[in-house]
Amino acid sequence: MDRKVGICAVAQTHFQRNKWDQRFQNMALEVLESLQQQTGVDFSEDKGIDMSISCSDDMFDARTISDNGLTDVLGGHFRCEEKIAQEGIQALYYGLAAIRSGHADVVLLLGHCKESQGKSRNRVTHLAFDPFYTRPVGLDFCVGAGLQAQAYGEKSGITDDHLAKIVVRARKMAANNPNQPDTQQVTAEEVMASAFLADPIRTLHAYPVSDGAVGMILAAEDRVREFTDTPVWITGVGNSMDSFFLGDRDLASSVALKAAAGRAYKRAGIRDPKSAFDVKEVCDQYAYQLPMWMEGLGLIQEGRGARWVDDQEWDKTNVNISGGMLAGNPLLLGGFVRAAEAALQLKGEAGSRQVKNARTALAHGVMGPAGQFHSVVTLERD
Amino acid sequence: MDHKKREYTMTIDTKDCFTIEGKLALPYQYFAGRTGSRFITSLRDNKKIMGLECKHCNKVFVPPRSTCEVCFEDISENWVDLPNTGIVTGFTIVRYEEPHQPVKPPYITALVKLDKADTPFAHIVKGIPLSKMKTGLRVEAVFAKRTTATIMDIDHFRPIKEGPSFKLGYSYDALEVGMSDSFTKTISETDVYLFAGISGDFNPMHMNEEFAKTTPMGTRIAHGALPQCLIAPVLGMKLPGLGTIALEVTTRFKAPTYFGDTITATGEVVEKLPERRWVRMALTFTNQKNELVAEGSALVLPPPSMP
Repeated sequence: MDRKVGICAVAQTHFQRNKWDQRFQNMALEVLESLQQQTGVDFSEDKGIDMSISCSDDMFDARTISDNGLTDVLGGHFRCEEKIAQEGIQALYYGLAAIRSGHADVVLLLGHCKESQGKSRNRVTHLAFDPFYTRPVGLDFCVGAGLQAQAYGEKSGITDDHLAKIVVRARKMAANNPNQPDTQQVTAEEVMASAFLADPIRTLHAYPVSDGAVGMILAAEDRVREFTDTPVWITGVGNSMDSFFLGDRDLASSVALKAAAGRAYKRAGIRDPKSAFDVKEVCDQYAYQLPMWMEGLGLIQEGRGARWVDDQEWDKTNVNISGGMLAGNPLLLGGFVRAAEAALQLKGEAGSRQVKNARTALAHGVMGPAGQFHSVVTLERD
Repeated sequence: MDHKKREYTMTIDTKDCFTIEGKLALPYQYFAGRTGSRFITSLRDNKKIMGLECKHCNKVFVPPRSTCEVCFEDISENWVDLPNTGIVTGFTIVRYEEPHQPVKPPYITALVKLDKADTPFAHIVKGIPLSKMKTGLRVEAVFAKRTTATIMDIDHFRPIKEGPSFKLGYSYDALEVGMSDSFTKTISETDVYLFAGISGDFNPMHMNEEFAKTTPMGTRIAHGALPQCLIAPVLGMKLPGLGTIALEVTTRFKAPTYFGDTITATGEVVEKLPERRWVRMALTFTNQKNELVAEGSALVLPPPSMP
């Protein structure tokens, strides 16, 4: 069955340092109700949601089967209910596969995370490592990022100065994004004066701890118009997973990202990614990742990361107009929110951060230590 | 952590918002697999680091795995012993504190590629100032005193001291005829008594002033070999210097050395013997009045040249 899949609606909560007055179920419900309000969709058997795919993580929620706590929000007792525990953008891939295979016509995607509830997210990501060779050495995602930032810095010539520019710009953009109400503006001097976490990564180079939820309604081509007049079509997807052990990989050059992007571009029929997208949303968990992923995605020439930051081409080429992940999304939802932001731009619903006449977009997600697992999604509107 | 908690309660109105303190803790046994078990037990019992080699890809993996991830060949029997030395291919300095860390921050987490292995693995590096840490550093494993049966049976890696830590003297090639150096020392009564003890020569001409008055010198004199000894610090520590082997020293005594005399022993390169790469040196011993006390020659083997 070969039918297009469209994003009908997007909803997200505010992403805040600590949503102390909401349980994750409340956040998820807020998203579901917004999606229902926008599309009129329900869980009715003939024309409602066929399948719900949630994204959450047992360790971040400190409970097993983390979707089990919100089966009612997901409509689990009505229909097929699935969970992915990777980067939230996988829910989009999964929903796409379900619709294209003919198993479902209308799919609800819903991701949540309250990073604030864990004492430390490093303690959560530490558990992603094996208990024999890497946990005893004390690895967590922040150490992994430090190793990669050092390797990429040595190769690319990205300096502390470049990294500060990236953070300042991300926060400036986020000021335009009402979903990031907690964002504080910083100067380059403040960034460069912030303490090191894992050299060369400084405190302000890291994505902030935040809580929030995000969701989408996907529908098959022939059903899309029941829910929206402005569908955003998913034209390509690509995933790739690099080796588990950090030492098995070339940390300075993202092999997995190139493979993921190559797959997505091939499916979308894109030959020249540099000119293919009006809007790009890239998952920058740490400042060094923005130029590194831009190179890996083929959106700038390989080895030009430092120059790209110097030239500040990001505004005119519409990279991370939302502020990106540096402005604040939970680890699990970074890519999912990137896809949501890209879709809002193409739907013309991005408010004060709207890019005029945006017709094509790229969204990127990443999970695992030092960019182990990458996902690339390409989007287009009519 | 108390600080964080205080911040939490200060900034939040907790009225009608109750938070339960929780903790996931799950005692558990992880099976390391047959391949992992062999690696861990050989590290634990024999302090030996082993890798697995894919002969097809010509690649040695650490930590070990039973299947080559490149060509999918079964490599589970291709164990190779690896040395304890390697090179740092990447590193970061961890500054934040977490309970899962093996040492107190700040500390260095590095990717270490053992010699003869192809995949680096993450470990701790100690014994180098944080500001001096660099990729390319040569390191060696320091094994833990007590086993934990994990990768931490290697307690950490430390820098290998490159080359000798002493600066060797002039090599054969660096020496030129005419180069000279000397050592000067005042000979005291104590020196003479110590030398008597060392040599067993308690001859009253060195020990007994009343007896010495009856000798042609009319007073005590130092042992003849005592000023001659002063050439040793020249040959061994100055010219050629550290690493020199003395093959032959001959001297002729020319004048007595009295207590309180200041003797200067001088060595001068007079001949290079290319066949054996030996050097002949002329020796002179003078006192504070510039009188020749003794003269002679030495044959030495200079130290090898520094890498």
